[in-house]
Amino acid sequence: MALNSIERIKKRLEERPKEIEDARREGRKVVGWQGYNVPEEIIYALGLIPVRIGIGGDDRLVEVGARYISTKNCVFCRETVGLFAENTDPYVKNTDFLVFDATCLQTFRTAELLQYYFGKEVIVLGVPRNFYWDAAKTYFQKEVEHVVRRLEELSGVKLDYTKLKETVELYNKIRSTLIKIYDFQATRENYISWDEAYDIIQAGYFLDRKEYLELLENVLEELEEKQGRPVIEAVEDEARIFISGSVIPPKDRKLLDIIEQVGGRIVGDDLWSGIIPYLDVNIDEITPAGIALAYLNRTPHGALPYLELESDRRVKKLKELIKTYKAEGVIYHTLRYCDPYTFKAKETKDILQGEGIPLLEIHTEYAGSDFEAVRTRVEAFVEMIKAKEAIA
Amino acid sequence: MSVAQKLFQYPETAREAFIKTEDIIFRDGSRATAEEVWKYLTEVGPVKYPNAYDDTEYHGRRISGDVTLPFSLKHNYLLLTMDDRMTKAKENGVPVIFVQGGQSVDPYYAAGGIALRPASTGIWARRKIQGLDLYQEQVSSSDVKEKARRALSFEACNTAGYEHIQEGTLPVDMVAPFSCLRCSDVSYGLEAHRHGERRDVKLFLADYPMDGQKDKEWAIEYFAENMRRLIEEISGLTGRETTAEDLRNEIKVHNEGRRLAVEIADLWWSAEVPPTNGKDRRDLFQLGGMEVHGDPQASLSLLREAKGYIAERVRKGIPGYKIQGNPARIFVCGSCVFPNEYRTEEAGGIIVGNDNHWSDIATIVEEEGDPYYNLSRAILSYPYEQSIKERAQWTVEQIKRSRADGVLFLYNWGCNTQSAIARALVDEIKKETGLPTLIIEHDRGSEQLQNRVNAFVEMLK
Repeated sequence: MALNSIERIKKRLEERPKEIEDARREGRKVVGWQGYNVPEEIIYALGLIPVRIGIGGDDRLVEVGARYISTKNCVFCRETVGLFAENTDPYVKNTDFLVFDATCLQTFRTAELLQYYFGKEVIVLGVPRNFYWDAAKTYFQKEVEHVVRRLEELSGVKLDYTKLKETVELYNKIRSTLIKIYDFQATRENYISWDEAYDIIQAGYFLDRKEYLELLENVLEELEEKQGRPVIEAVEDEARIFISGSVIPPKDRKLLDIIEQVGGRIVGDDLWSGIIPYLDVNIDEITPAGIALAYLNRTPHGALPYLELESDRRVKKLKELIKTYKAEGVIYHTLRYCDPYTFKAKETKDILQGEGIPLLEIHTEYAGSDFEAVRTRVEAFVEMIKAKEAIA
Repeated sequence: MSVAQKLFQYPETAREAFIKTEDIIFRDGSRATAEEVWKYLTEVGPVKYPNAYDDTEYHGRRISGDVTLPFSLKHNYLLLTMDDRMTKAKENGVPVIFVQGGQSVDPYYAAGGIALRPASTGIWARRKIQGLDLYQEQVSSSDVKEKARRALSFEACNTAGYEHIQEGTLPVDMVAPFSCLRCSDVSYGLEAHRHGERRDVKLFLADYPMDGQKDKEWAIEYFAENMRRLIEEISGLTGRETTAEDLRNEIKVHNEGRRLAVEIADLWWSAEVPPTNGKDRRDLFQLGGMEVHGDPQASLSLLREAKGYIAERVRKGIPGYKIQGNPARIFVCGSCVFPNEYRTEEAGGIIVGNDNHWSDIATIVEEEGDPYYNLSRAILSYPYEQSIKERAQWTVEQIKRSRADGVLFLYNWGCNTQSAIARALVDEIKKETGLPTLIIEHDRGSEQLQNRVNAFVEMLK
């Protein structure tokens, strides 16, 4: 049975669209954002309402989007364009401006099309690909400062550094609380599943962040009451699965449901729609430039190339998380035409093979036509892990 | 088993006029006289590379047949001698760098390297194996391409030479492309080399900032830093320091090539009837990028000479080889792909221009002042890499200058970033010009693709 605090989050999510509509009526501005490197703290500190844009799993919206963007673009981008084309999603229709980053070039193209076809005011945040250079860090800091200036112009509000300090503290607490909650999902007791933790993370895309922190603290309190400290350990008869690869945004349930149906247990992820953006954020200087630096120093997104395999932080993090969450196999999810992750599929498989971790690549879209094919493969993978355990 | 080939032969009647034409002057100071070129094309080439002489109707790379245009012959000579020339350069310690991203190649040459794009590496790889007919050559290419797809992704629009570098077919020293909007596969393809067999190949990414980049001083500065580091990395291979003056001088050489290509294009476009066929036009315009043959000086030789010939043909109203009547003029936008020019011409059309690469050729770099900054600013202002409206505005100018009757947007299968804005760009062009437009996905030169192009030509006529 779900925790009371989780039920409360679900309820507040249902009420949120109307609240945002009311807030806009009172003159508040809503900023929709998409990407991996958009420092949301700054939007919040400006007194604007940040909403992370993008859902998945709706093949009809993908089709609508494909009238504007090509079928050679990933379904997440197509569905995002479809959302704006249709303009009925409560969050999408209530955005005043958009901030999209150029981490993934297809996201950048999506931003261009939203500007061109739907007249949206989109601020694009440039993201350096040589992100580990000092010059690249300076470039990104200037880009973030540019975004701040544009948001100030559009909203008519100046960034208040006292407010920014408070916001950074708030966001730091959100991140640390999320990480603590996330650890509980991988324990033997399983009072909160990975699915629920994932939904909680994504609830933060929409809820007011102050309230969100309170709700998270309630979840953590309830978990600690039930279980004390989380101890992550492997459990017999479980196929502990780690999810990696392309984005799995809210409402994209296909693969997650299949894993559950065939008896797999997800215990961790490094998805940019999951826990990874909240890890290793160390803001030393509370300025837009300081925040920019902290974002760039996190685990890099797959769209940012790194030319040395041995010192790649993304690969290191993947191995570390697999170990932390005692995962026994990786399901590497790639959306069709999601080049940042499809190009890395074989390489990741080879690397993990060296560590004794099997990897199954599931290459899919939002259409249901491959449901049975995906299920057969995932089922076999889960069976294989369980059989391996039994033999061991 | 191979089938009998229909091979092209240069007619002996063309020899006398040809051998009186200019020498090709190379970067290392050596020369090839027109007589040597003729001998190679008629005696050596057909034996070493019969596939290049295949005159089958549907062979899109077949020799143009315009034997009175010296450029066409010399261009073929340079294509056929690619392996000989690259091998010689390597023996002389010149590093070869694989590039991508539609950039100008000035910094690579300034640092003493040779920059080759995917098409050029493909040419070089084809010249590595002798005696193959067209069928054998195509089977061999497909085979090696499959290996690259397995190492990268089957959704890669192209494998961009990965196979040749990682299989060790080509002794490339460094892979150093530009990331940019033209192709999202560039940086992922580069990164993939890190898990390849050849760990001795240096990897470098020249990071192209996005969105309004040419108007942001910090983006120009960042890209200039990329140029500095690129040059330093290449200098590390050559063992010699590259000065700002070296880069400035190289920019001047490349600017001459760019200017000549633009002047030739204006002449070509001004002609009542096209003065060359589409294949020769494309090769000629593209030469302004100074990259195709891995030797900017050789490219300059050809451009300087070609300008006079094109001017004369335009003045006298001489049509290009096999150009009949008044073909429907098509401007091509999109990815780095083309329809089969010969078959388009058979259908009554002709390709008169394209935006890909023309954008960088048409951008002249400021010669006075800091060459790193100037180069950076010029590269970041390539029209092809700007916003939809800005790119469309520039493309409309090219379409008008080329007097095109229709616009074709072609994107390669799997090309995310060009396909993404295909409709938007074409909508904007149509709004500005009122011309008919067509978007086609290019799936490696299929019959269906050409049928669509031919139907478009029919409609235009």
